[in-house]
Amino acid sequence: MIHPDFVHLAHQMVFGAIAAAGFGILFNFGLRSLMWCAAAGALALGVRTLGQEAQWSLEAASFVAAVTASCASTMLRRPLGPRGNAVALAGCIPMVPGAFFGQALLGMLAVTTPHPENAALILTSTEYFLRVFFTLAAIGAGLAIPAHLFRNPDF
Amino acid sequence: MSDDPVRRKHRELEKIAMTALRLARILTECGARVKVVHEGASLVVRGLGVEPVGIRTGYASQEITVRSGENTITRMMSMGSHGVNHRLDHVMRALAVQVSQGGMSVEAVERAMDRLVKETPRHPLWLVALAVGMACAAFGRLLGIDWLAFGPVFLGGGIGQAVRMLLLRRGVNAYVVATVIAFLASALAGFGAHLLGSGTVNLAMMAAILLLVPGVPITNAQTDIMDGYPSMGSARAVSVLMVMIFATTGVLIAEWLLGMR
Repeated sequence: MIHPDFVHLAHQMVFGAIAAAGFGILFNFGLRSLMWCAAAGALALGVRTLGQEAQWSLEAASFVAAVTASCASTMLRRPLGPRGNAVALAGCIPMVPGAFFGQALLGMLAVTTPHPENAALILTSTEYFLRVFFTLAAIGAGLAIPAHLFRNPDF
Repeated sequence: MSDDPVRRKHRELEKIAMTALRLARILTECGARVKVVHEGASLVVRGLGVEPVGIRTGYASQEITVRSGENTITRMMSMGSHGVNHRLDHVMRALAVQVSQGGMSVEAVERAMDRLVKETPRHPLWLVALAVGMACAAFGRLLGIDWLAFGPVFLGGGIGQAVRMLLLRRGVNAYVVATVIAFLASALAGFGAHLLGSGTVNLAMMAAILLLVPGVPITNAQTDIMDGYPSMGSARAVSVLMVMIFATTGVLIAEWLLGMR
């Protein structure tokens, strides 16, 4: 019998792969590269989900997931060639907290009304903004650090 | 001082500078990092037999200075709209490597760039719309939308992407497009999810606009700053913020119209 957590993990990996491949088409990746994008998306979402299940923060889990995707693309240098970094980036796109960003902006707009309904709104919006900022920073740093440490000689 | 016995004239240097700038511009418009753009331009310049002195990449224009012996020349080229095109980026990098190995003239490089820009395939609009709709719906599942909202988010995201591409092809301002598409996609997803009795209408509206979140520029902004190009990194970050502000405006209008505010 499958443990419910594994069902959740599989769900996140499958939809991470679909989102990464979908954005891969938007970014005009070739068909063979799209499979790698999907694999990178599944890997990144899988690692992030495991991290969150281990009670890590979203930011920490996103950082480790981005590092893993970047390291995997470095290890697969031979089949991926110079597109390794782009594939790792496409795999991390489903982790970009776009919805948090939108909710943070909507929350800030609500705060600026003449009589804000409650002060907790300010706290929630600020929290969303900080989470967006730190999660984006975590993804960017997670992708960049391995790429700088293990330079891909291909241009 | 170069010991190259052949001293290039200014007219020749100008041609080389403009060819290198053209390659740099295409790479930037395809979403490449500044460091990659500079490496590509330097490969072309050296392959054509002269030395790069310096390259500056801004959000709206690029400049290059090249040298042959005592002769130097500086040229500038304006930039088109920034996007992401992985296959064109890939073939342009391969061309830069080919040029760096020598044996190509400026005219041959220009012809090769013309051919690559014209012939590098792009996915058809219907496929991109379908894929982006599916990506938004998958993104929505990752955020926690229920299955009842999955279809409306797919529809909103897909139609939004198709209209977005048509508007951008007509030359409509990218930030205005962000507001229009955010309104259209979130209204379709929100209305559809509401009709189907979804319990996650708000999330569905946000998921449908995730096609507008500029994921590549966000990470490029950071990488550019890390690589020592803070001006371009900051410009990219500001453009990301602007897109999100305009997109949020679209969602806000949709929420008002659907009576959710």
